[in-house]
Amino acid sequence: MIEKEVTIVNKAGMHTRPASTIVKIAAKYKANFFISKNGFEINGKSIIGVMTLAAEQGSKLLLRFDGEDEHELAKEMIDFFERGFDEK
Amino acid sequence: MPDRFEKLKEVKKKFITVEFFFKAAGERFKLEQITKLDIPKRKKIFDKNLHRPGLALAGYVELFTYQRIQVLGNTEIKYLTQLNKKKRIDSLMRFFSFNVPCVIITNDNPLPVEFIHIAQKFKIPVFKTPYPTTRFIYLVSDFLDDQFAPQIVIHGSFVDVYGIGVLFCGKSGIGKSEIALDLVERGHRLVADDVVLVSKKGESVLMGSGTEFVQHFMEIRGLGIIDIRKVFGIRAIRFQKRVEVIVELEHWDPGKVYERTGLNTVKGNIMGVEIEMIRLPIFPGKNITVISEVIALNYLCKHYGYDAAKVFAENLKKKIRLNKKSGKGETSASLRRAIEYFEHDFE
Repeated sequence: MIEKEVTIVNKAGMHTRPASTIVKIAAKYKANFFISKNGFEINGKSIIGVMTLAAEQGSKLLLRFDGEDEHELAKEMIDFFERGFDEK
Repeated sequence: MPDRFEKLKEVKKKFITVEFFFKAAGERFKLEQITKLDIPKRKKIFDKNLHRPGLALAGYVELFTYQRIQVLGNTEIKYLTQLNKKKRIDSLMRFFSFNVPCVIITNDNPLPVEFIHIAQKFKIPVFKTPYPTTRFIYLVSDFLDDQFAPQIVIHGSFVDVYGIGVLFCGKSGIGKSEIALDLVERGHRLVADDVVLVSKKGESVLMGSGTEFVQHFMEIRGLGIIDIRKVFGIRAIRFQKRVEVIVELEHWDPGKVYERTGLNTVKGNIMGVEIEMIRLPIFPGKNITVISEVIALNYLCKHYGYDAAKVFAENLKKKIRLNKKSGKGETSASLRRAIEYFEHDFE
C-alpha cells in the first residue's frame, strides 16, 4: 500500500475535467485507489465520488493506492496531481 | 470512430420515370392526365426542382431548364390565352419541341384547344391538378426531394424508444436484435432490424426505415426468423422514424477509455448530418435495454434544455468556489448530508 499527501495547485480545483481524467487513469490499473479529504475517504474510480470532494485550490488530499500495480498507478496519478491537472 | 459511416456507399436515384411519378404521386396530388397518351417509358425526371416556363413560352429559351417538370399556373395560361392563334401555336410548338418530361396545369385551368394537340404530337403528357400553383409546387418539391434523397444502408437495429429514434450499431452477433426484441417487449416500437435504410431529408434530418422486402422480420440467433408484427402486433412496429441517437455497442475492453461524465458528446456523421453517438461497452449481466431507455429519456431532457452532466459540473464549480472562499472552515471540512438533520420519523 502506498499513501501520499497531495495539494491541489490549479486555480479551478478538482472540477469535472480533471475528475474525469483521474477516474480514467485509475481505471487503467488493477490496484484500488482511494482519495480522502478531511477524513472522508471515497473510491477514486468513481467519478461521482471524486467530484463529491469538491477539492478547491490549496486543499490537501490523501491518496491511497493498494494492489499489484500500485506503484505504476501511484506514479502516474501523483504526477497528474503535481502537474496541477495540466492547468494553471 | 465518429467517421465509421463515411465509408458506406451513398445511393442516389439518378431519375424517376414520369410513369412512376404519376403512379406514386398521382392520387396524392390529384393529378389527372388530360392528354390521351400512354405515358412513354422513356420520359424521365432527372431533377428535383420544378420550373415555371413563363419566359420560354414568351420566346426566351436560353438556359431553359426543360428537363424539369414544367408547372403552368394562372399567369402562363392567361398569357397563352391572350395571344392570337398564330402566336400561341408558335409559342407552344417552340415550348414542346424541347424534350420536356411532363407538364402540369394547376388550378384546373382550362386550356386553349391547340395545347393538347401539340402536346400529343410531341408525346409529352400533360396533367392537371386542382391545387393552386404555390401549394402544388410546395407539395411536389417535398415528394421529389424525398425521391432524390441520398440513402445509405446501415447494418443495425432501429427502434423508437419513447419517441426517440435509437439506432443500434455494432459487430455481428453482439446482440443488436436481442436488444431490439427486449425493447419491443417493454412497449417500444421496432422500425427495422439488420438492414436499415437511412435517407437524408433536407439538410439536417435523417429518416430511417426498413426495406420493403424485410419489413419487420427479424433473425434471432438460435431461433431463426420471426415476424415482430405478427408476434407482438401492430403496437410493436412503425415504418419510419427520424434517427436521433446512435448507440455503438462493443464488448467491454478494460484497456479502453470510456466516457464518464457525458460532457464530451461524440457525433457520428452520416451523409453530412451529425448525430449524437454513444459508445456503449457491454458485458454479461449489463442491462442494455434499461440503459437504452435512459439514453432516450436523457436525450429528451437535453432536448428540452436540461443536461444533467452540465448541471452537475456547474454545481461542482460552485462548491469548489465556496470551499475556497470559506477557507478551511466548517463547510469545506466534510461531506454534508443531503438533509440537515433526520427528522423524528426514523423510517
